[in-house]
Amino acid sequence: MPETNEKIYICRCEEVTKEEIEQAIKDGATTLSGIKKRTHAGMGLCQGRTCQRLIAGILSKEREMAQILPPTIRPPVRTALIADFIKED
Amino acid sequence: MNQKADVVVIGGGVIGTAITFYLSQRGQKVILIEKNDLASGASGACDQDIILQSKNPGIHLQLALASSQMYKTLEKELDYDIEYENTGGMILIETPEELKIMEDFVNRQKALGLQVEILNYKEALRYQRGLSNHLVGSTYSPQDAHVNPIRLNLGFAQAARRYGAEILLETEITKIKVKNNQIEGLETNRGTIYTPVIINAAGAWAPSIGRMIGLKIPIKPRRGQIVITEPVPPFVMGDVLSARYIVAKYNPELYNNSESAAVKLGVGLSLSQTRKGNILIGATREFAGYDITNTRTGIKEILKNATRLIPELKEMNIIRAIAGLRPYTPDGLPLLGPVNGLNGFYLAAGHEGDGIALAPITGKIIADLITDGKTFMDVTALSPNRFLM
Ligand SMILES: Cc1cc2nc3c(=O)[nH]c(=O)nc-3n(C[C@H](O)[C@H](O)[C@H](O)COP(=O)(O)OP(=O)(O)OC[C@H]3O[C@@H](n4cnc5c(N)ncnc54)[C@H](O)[C@@H]3O)c2cc1C
Repeated sequence: MPETNEKIYICRCEEVTKEEIEQAIKDGATTLSGIKKRTHAGMGLCQGRTCQRLIAGILSKEREMAQILPPTIRPPVRTALIADFIKED
Repeated sequence: MNQKADVVVIGGGVIGTAITFYLSQRGQKVILIEKNDLASGASGACDQDIILQSKNPGIHLQLALASSQMYKTLEKELDYDIEYENTGGMILIETPEELKIMEDFVNRQKALGLQVEILNYKEALRYQRGLSNHLVGSTYSPQDAHVNPIRLNLGFAQAARRYGAEILLETEITKIKVKNNQIEGLETNRGTIYTPVIINAAGAWAPSIGRMIGLKIPIKPRRGQIVITEPVPPFVMGDVLSARYIVAKYNPELYNNSESAAVKLGVGLSLSQTRKGNILIGATREFAGYDITNTRTGIKEILKNATRLIPELKEMNIIRAIAGLRPYTPDGLPLLGPVNGLNGFYLAAGHEGDGIALAPITGKIIADLITDGKTFMDVTALSPNRFLM
């Protein structure tokens, strides 16, 4: 990647930059969920669907890929209107 | 690698990091040991309330009042944005029976110096819009506040490091060394640490540390599920709870016979909004072992309960759910202080649903006990020895 002064956004929903992710790793984050807690990356509307792989890529420079645990995937898996969620059975 | 410390703290949640901060600030050489990561336990999966009016008038409220005082200057002391805000809070009241219990509760809290009052339905609407018209009223206290618990946890850790504390993440304890009833140190997967003092601040996991030295600690994990909405414009006034939660907590017999799913899951409203605009809708109180999955029934009952009280919430989208394990104790009070017969071993665990509110005061009390042998208030009622004798 060419050097530029522009910030490189990794998580677009929460506007988290590559620099912020690298700082989180310096502060001790070793997993996707550790990065999430320190930067909010992956906590936005898309819930990490786009950035998760990019972040795993950055982490893999420090760690074996196999040790990078996927963050806990929990229901609701998709965005849902509350009115609909309480209706369905 | 072998190391030496004045104190070793076990557990990197808000409680362990708060203790590490206050001890380091006083010049103690502290090493904190965390099995996973900071904020990986309850402190990373909870609500954000520093709520005073939910506390039983007595030592519980006294602790919360002292802690809330400390919060006023904490952000500055930590030099870290913990998103602290003194928002005020209210407890929604649905029935005349609840009103009666809450009137008594509020009067006893006032006697201890809490600013709190009862509002009728119309007055309550002035603080929180969208309240269902079946409500009888609410309580209101201007003293309630909130804080981002993950930032609080990270902030305590970072500030402690500035004072020289060492924080070992992903570190497993394999053995606690005791000689002639005196703590000598512990062994970890990263080497041996020699220390005369160990503080067990492992939250819901405190019993497993106790077992290493033959102590039976009566803490149990009590799961809480929370549902989170997309960011929306300011909607929630501060901390909004329901009286049903308080009444169920202190008068469980009133609901014990109920067969409803919500009661079985211990659902009680807890509503607040983050700085980014997400609304946190909580929560269940379930005994489900160490399982931290979210269940569809849990999420559904939380949402049914919340929309019954504030129907407008139906128009919002939920984007995720979280679950954490509150460290439950049989009498609802934390276990704080030294353990008799085992010199140098302290407990600081069992804050159940109040660990965020009580983190600063817990850190101070434990730091006082370790450096001065006493603290500013009578903490006999919190002694772990009440269960360990
Ligand atoms: C749904 C929910 C909502 C809540 N809402 C609020 C609220 O609004 N206000 C409030 O004040 N409180 C609230 N709470 C309660 C609060 O979250 C807890 O009381 C508090 O987080 C407990 O902090 P802790 O540091 O004791 O435990 P934890 O945060 O659980 O930390 C314990 C740490 O110990 C570590 N550990 C475990 N075993 C070992 C070992 N063998 N070696 C090393 N480390 C170990 C764990 O990995 C963990 O990081 C809520 C809780 C839940 C679940």
